Amino acid sequence: MPTIEVSRGDLCNLIGRRLSMKQLEEAVLYAKCEIDSADGDTLKLDCKDTNRPDLWSAEGVAREMAGRLGRPGLPAYRVGKSGVRVLVNPRLKAIRPYTVCAVVRNLNMTPDVLSQMIQLQEKVSMTFGRNRKEVAIGVYDLHRITSPIKFTTTAPDGIMFMPLEFSREMTPAQILKSHPKGREFGHLLEGMREYPVFIDSAGEVLSMPPIINSDYTGKVTRETRDIFIECSGFNLRFLLPALNVIASALADRGGKVETVEIDFGGGKKLVTPDLSPRKTRADLDFINKVSGLKLSMAQARKLLEQARYAVKAHGRRMNLLYPAYRQDIMHMRDVAEDAVISYGYNRIEPVPPRLATIGKTSDMETFSDRCARIMVGLGYQEILSYILTSKGKLFTRMLLPESDIVEIENYVSENWNVFRNSLLPGMLEFLSRNNNQEYPQRIFEIGECVLPDPRQETRTRDVRKLSLAFTGNSAGYQDASGALEALLSNLGVPFSLRARKHPSFIPGRCADVLLRNRPAGMVGEIHPQVLNNFGLKMPVAALELDVQELNALSKN
Amino acid sequence: MPRDPNKGPRSRKQEAGMELTEEGRRYASEGLPEKRLIGLVSGGKNSIVQLKNSLPELDIALAWSKKRGWIRIEKGRLILVKEPSGYPEQDSLKMISEGKPVPEEMLKTLESRKLVVREAPHIGEGRALHGKEVAGLTPALIKTGHWRNVRFRPYNIRATGEKAYPGKRHPYNRFLSQVRQKLVELGFREMPGHLIESEFWNFDALFQAQDHPSRDWTQTYSLRNPRTGSLPDRKIVSQVRQTHENGWKTGSTGWGYKWSPAKAAKLMPRAHTTACSARQLASGVDIPGKYFAISRCFRPDVIDATHGVEFNQTEGIVIDPSLDFRSLLGLLKQFALEMAGAEEVRFLPDYYPFTEPSCQLSARHPELGWVEFAGSGIFREELTKPLGIDEPVIAWGLGIDRLAMFRLGIKDIRELFTRNIGLLRKQRVF
Repeated sequence: MPTIEVSRGDLCNLIGRRLSMKQLEEAVLYAKCEIDSADGDTLKLDCKDTNRPDLWSAEGVAREMAGRLGRPGLPAYRVGKSGVRVLVNPRLKAIRPYTVCAVVRNLNMTPDVLSQMIQLQEKVSMTFGRNRKEVAIGVYDLHRITSPIKFTTTAPDGIMFMPLEFSREMTPAQILKSHPKGREFGHLLEGMREYPVFIDSAGEVLSMPPIINSDYTGKVTRETRDIFIECSGFNLRFLLPALNVIASALADRGGKVETVEIDFGGGKKLVTPDLSPRKTRADLDFINKVSGLKLSMAQARKLLEQARYAVKAHGRRMNLLYPAYRQDIMHMRDVAEDAVISYGYNRIEPVPPRLATIGKTSDMETFSDRCARIMVGLGYQEILSYILTSKGKLFTRMLLPESDIVEIENYVSENWNVFRNSLLPGMLEFLSRNNNQEYPQRIFEIGECVLPDPRQETRTRDVRKLSLAFTGNSAGYQDASGALEALLSNLGVPFSLRARKHPSFIPGRCADVLLRNRPAGMVGEIHPQVLNNFGLKMPVAALELDVQELNALSKN
Repeated sequence: MPRDPNKGPRSRKQEAGMELTEEGRRYASEGLPEKRLIGLVSGGKNSIVQLKNSLPELDIALAWSKKRGWIRIEKGRLILVKEPSGYPEQDSLKMISEGKPVPEEMLKTLESRKLVVREAPHIGEGRALHGKEVAGLTPALIKTGHWRNVRFRPYNIRATGEKAYPGKRHPYNRFLSQVRQKLVELGFREMPGHLIESEFWNFDALFQAQDHPSRDWTQTYSLRNPRTGSLPDRKIVSQVRQTHENGWKTGSTGWGYKWSPAKAAKLMPRAHTTACSARQLASGVDIPGKYFAISRCFRPDVIDATHGVEFNQTEGIVIDPSLDFRSLLGLLKQFALEMAGAEEVRFLPDYYPFTEPSCQLSARHPELGWVEFAGSGIFREELTKPLGIDEPVIAWGLGIDRLAMFRLGIKDIRELFTRNIGLLRKQRVF
């Protein structure tokens, strides 16, 4: 969720009305924003719609608010021709194939205009543009550029230019190695033998996307009036809306938007930006059905005009035009939401659904609750652990050989990178944190473990287990086996025990718990080496059971 | 355990009284087994088989008679070696039953034969205790009625007893049980779920484009082992694919890209509970239907006071032809009042890739002020239709961890999974 900073004064100027803080709080809802904090004139806004980059600047927020506060209707954008051309080298196909561009003239680059432009460029390329992967944006001083501009490739040490905010010329390879932006975004060019670069007809480097602009052409200041914008990436689906969002915002600031012709070679040309309105349709009945409102056509039309649509009604249907900066309208439902937002969520009377349905907890929860009640009755304290753990805890400390287990690829911490297959290590880990607490300690946990299972759709199976541990001076096998007997007899589950050798337990003091002659758990006294591994100072008797198996038998 | 200062150690001196055990009483009246054996043998019965029938305690009788040198056994028959001169034990049993003293030596013998037990001092000295102060009430005092004649030493009633820690549910689980209970009361049925999901159920079925930023590796975990699963029912997969590519029959434009089944088959730890809702819809639902899930979810957050290793999400769906945005707001308001004790609610426009319209519920809590309480919306046709659902589905998710933290008075989310037994022992039961 992008967070943006805007000046309250600037925002009110754009809307054309002074709004109190209270009014602003209500009005930003129209732009799906919420005021996170206010510091003097600076407002921090949370932009909730991650699919509407047009709402991530003061211009966009103001536009959406103004529609509802007295300036409804489709914003009109006139686009002239700049005569600027961009020639795209086909060698970019496998590197960064597309660019779309625009020219904006006559800008009055006030501090607000400049900071909003930079912020919007940043937010669009980071969030909508996937950290510059899908959309990298460059903005340049038009007067330092000679058309046609070439979007071409360079060898890592093929050219030299001075990157933004640097005072010496560097090769692309050097930039990737030592410029902060090169280090931050260099992975996007990893493994490539050639890098993308914009160079103008005078041989001046504009930028090396998606990394950095040149300090000469790519520096926009308060004195800049005319700018050239390019967005580069892999997919016009992202590039065109990104360009339209920035061009529209600058048009709202009084800039004159002009097209750029992009020649991809082989007769393939594109003229951008296209800010002409897009078309869609909506049914009044659908809007009423979704919203639960009983809107007349006139009301619906007014609400949609407030959301910056142009509406032509035909009977109960509407032909709609909407601004080119929006790429989120895929279904009539999206139009319906705009109407409801114009209406105001808090003006709608909530009507709880009156549906006769029967509630029920899952069998597994109900049964787990039965088990937990008995454990509590036996004086055991329930604990709750993370399902994620580490191989070290599951295997090494438990003296177990490593076995097949569910592992995370892109883990954040080595402490939490596999799914537990047993609750016991977590129980011992818990006890190890309580060496200085009063003994005896009786704990239990009921929770999910995950086991690999090639027969399943997800190649894994969740297994709910119950584990208990008893520790104290005199803790021994019979403490755990006694609790086992108490638990199972109260559940009405017959069981038997069979001696077992298990590396985590003292030899001769461990047993399989058999249900219908099949192992469904184990009970025993933890091996002193395991106690050492966990830093435990007292003997521990423990039990682990498969809750599903218990449940199956308990029903019979 | 702090001892009561008024309580002294109990005396077990010789004046201790004694009492016949049940066995002792029987022998006192029937005669000791060895005495009866000698009688039988003297009377001519000497075959072991015969004796066994008339003397159940033959083994005991043989053991003592042999020890005393009265008999020996030859070819299954008993031979009387020496007639005993008397039976002092028998006499002692009688004396004890009459409350007369017997020598300490004899007492020890009878005690070892479990015919006599020594009693707590009070009984034997019942009369002696008359009017005296005693430390504790004993079963013997109750039985003999001597309690009527003694005074009980007053205790220091403010002395703390032994510290006891009851077995308790984990506070967070207790809280979740209450939420579960509340939802069941509201008519919701609990949905099953999987901790490991395919991207298909976690994203594709929810109409999240395969190149959507929320599917970036920095936002969700992926698995190293196992890496890929299989896709479900071919019909559903095909409908989901077409919806992504061109909208299929949902009335949508779709995302307009080439959908990859290989990407959809990749496995990942469940990132949100909506995966459960999608599975439930695809597997068939009652209409009207209300379903909920409380489930553990996983995202690669750096752990701090507001981000745990894992988190719980509570989500629900309601399906019925009558549902619209007003019903969604009605349901949300009901939750805020029923589950959080909110005084006032506010609805804010929101965004989720799979709901439209979307709505955030903020609730004003008496102590916390305005809190973001739930996210919600009406599922898009792009989600419902490919899964075979034509009715409107409203969906909501509660910020359950945050609610729990408030309920339990916790400031740091990591404490929800505390490993401090001291804290758990101290935690009040609500």
